Amino acid sequence: MSCKLVRRHLGALVDGELDPATQIEFERHLEACSACQEHLTFERAFRKQTRNSLAGPQAPEHLWGRALHRLDEIDEAKAQHASLIEIRPMRWKQTGLIAAAAAALLIIGGVLRLPDGDGYTSAGMLQDVLDVHTKALPSDVEAEAPQEVVRYFQGKTPFPVKPAQFEEPSMKFMGARYIMVGSRPAAALYYNHGGHRVTLLVFQSPELMQNARRTHVGGHELYYHDVGGNVVTIRQHGGVNYAFFGDLDRPVLFRLAANARVAD
Amino acid sequence: MRPRPRKIATERRLFETEARPHLDTLYSTALRLTRSPVDAEDLVQDTLVRAYRFYDRFEAGTNFKAWLLRIQMNAFVNRYRRSIRERQVFDGPMAAPVGEGVMSRATMRGLTDPVGDAQRQIIAREINRAFEQLSEDARAMVLLADVEELSYKEIAEVMGCPIGTVMSRLHRARKQLQVSLQQHAVQLGIIEADEDSEEDPVSLEAFRSRKAVKS
Repeated sequence: MSCKLVRRHLGALVDGELDPATQIEFERHLEACSACQEHLTFERAFRKQTRNSLAGPQAPEHLWGRALHRLDEIDEAKAQHASLIEIRPMRWKQTGLIAAAAAALLIIGGVLRLPDGDGYTSAGMLQDVLDVHTKALPSDVEAEAPQEVVRYFQGKTPFPVKPAQFEEPSMKFMGARYIMVGSRPAAALYYNHGGHRVTLLVFQSPELMQNARRTHVGGHELYYHDVGGNVVTIRQHGGVNYAFFGDLDRPVLFRLAANARVAD
Repeated sequence: MRPRPRKIATERRLFETEARPHLDTLYSTALRLTRSPVDAEDLVQDTLVRAYRFYDRFEAGTNFKAWLLRIQMNAFVNRYRRSIRERQVFDGPMAAPVGEGVMSRATMRGLTDPVGDAQRQIIAREINRAFEQLSEDARAMVLLADVEELSYKEIAEVMGCPIGTVMSRLHRARKQLQVSLQQHAVQLGIIEADEDSEEDPVSLEAFRSRKAVKS
């Protein structure tokens, strides 16, 4: 066995990751070779120094509390979800509207991790967007401070992000979150419209416009996709796409999207 | 009917008990990866939220710390996508081969037996500085193996690569750390320039196949 081979795998030897037979051969070599022994001693010592030098620092004291606060939000969402599931069958017969409302409550701008590459068509993307409507990710920034939102996305997204303004007083901004859509950084802005969750996804995606249909609502140019009974409505402004989705009726969603002030 | 608060509360308590001891690990790893205390806090918080969401998918009996670190690494890569490009460069043809003779024997001896606390502190500072110059991927490998002492199998899961790749990536990362340390030490005049020649790395696989042919 050569010194070269032994030295190349001294790290694995120290890590205890060589198979037993190889390890025995290595040890036999090391017994006879003082130069390799020296390398081994160094490897061990250096490992220890690396660990000591790079260990720590400790987490700041407030961090755990901050994390727990976010877990509280998840628990609340879970409890809400559970109650929704249990309530729905009882009221199903009383009013057909409840079903629509319940579905709308579950509409979420969730983890939008979509496939990359050439096969990344707008159809696939839209389906993925709608497919991930099952998970409610908590906001990174909260509703109280819209200017916090602007600051939060600075340096994260290559375009400025601020909560869109809506004329409808019933449209309430709930919070925002940074996510990736495919390989593109995006901002998910969460709104509530009379108990229905609406998500506004802000990102740069030429793919999104492929095969999109065009219409005009209230003097605004609007693009949209029909995906399995749902509609994704898109505004374009300054090279940025603003995709609105939620289980609202089509005319309501169109009107919201058309009247939204997405940028100054 | 009321929701099921008890089930949620039980799960929550379990999660907190299991996760709390690893908070410092998550934070220091996050800080070493992001290099920013603000980003590190965000990353840890994100990690805990994701871990809690997918807590039911954690396989009991496996290493919870490794599981958390895997989630954190994924969150990190998602948030800082450019790291993937960096990793490709690191793994690709641009990754320079690292030979065995990066350290002279004098250097090794100097580092193996530091004399006194002052020298130990200098070495610690230099290791930190050398570490900061590593690529993201190399930093992650060193952190997972040398600081957190995960097994190769666990590192493979955290990094999403085959176990066989862990050994070579880790080897390269450690050697890069040593090269950086050595170069700076030479610049500072702490040690003399190394005259040892670099040798081509030989793979264990090649050795094994040679053995197989012989027997």
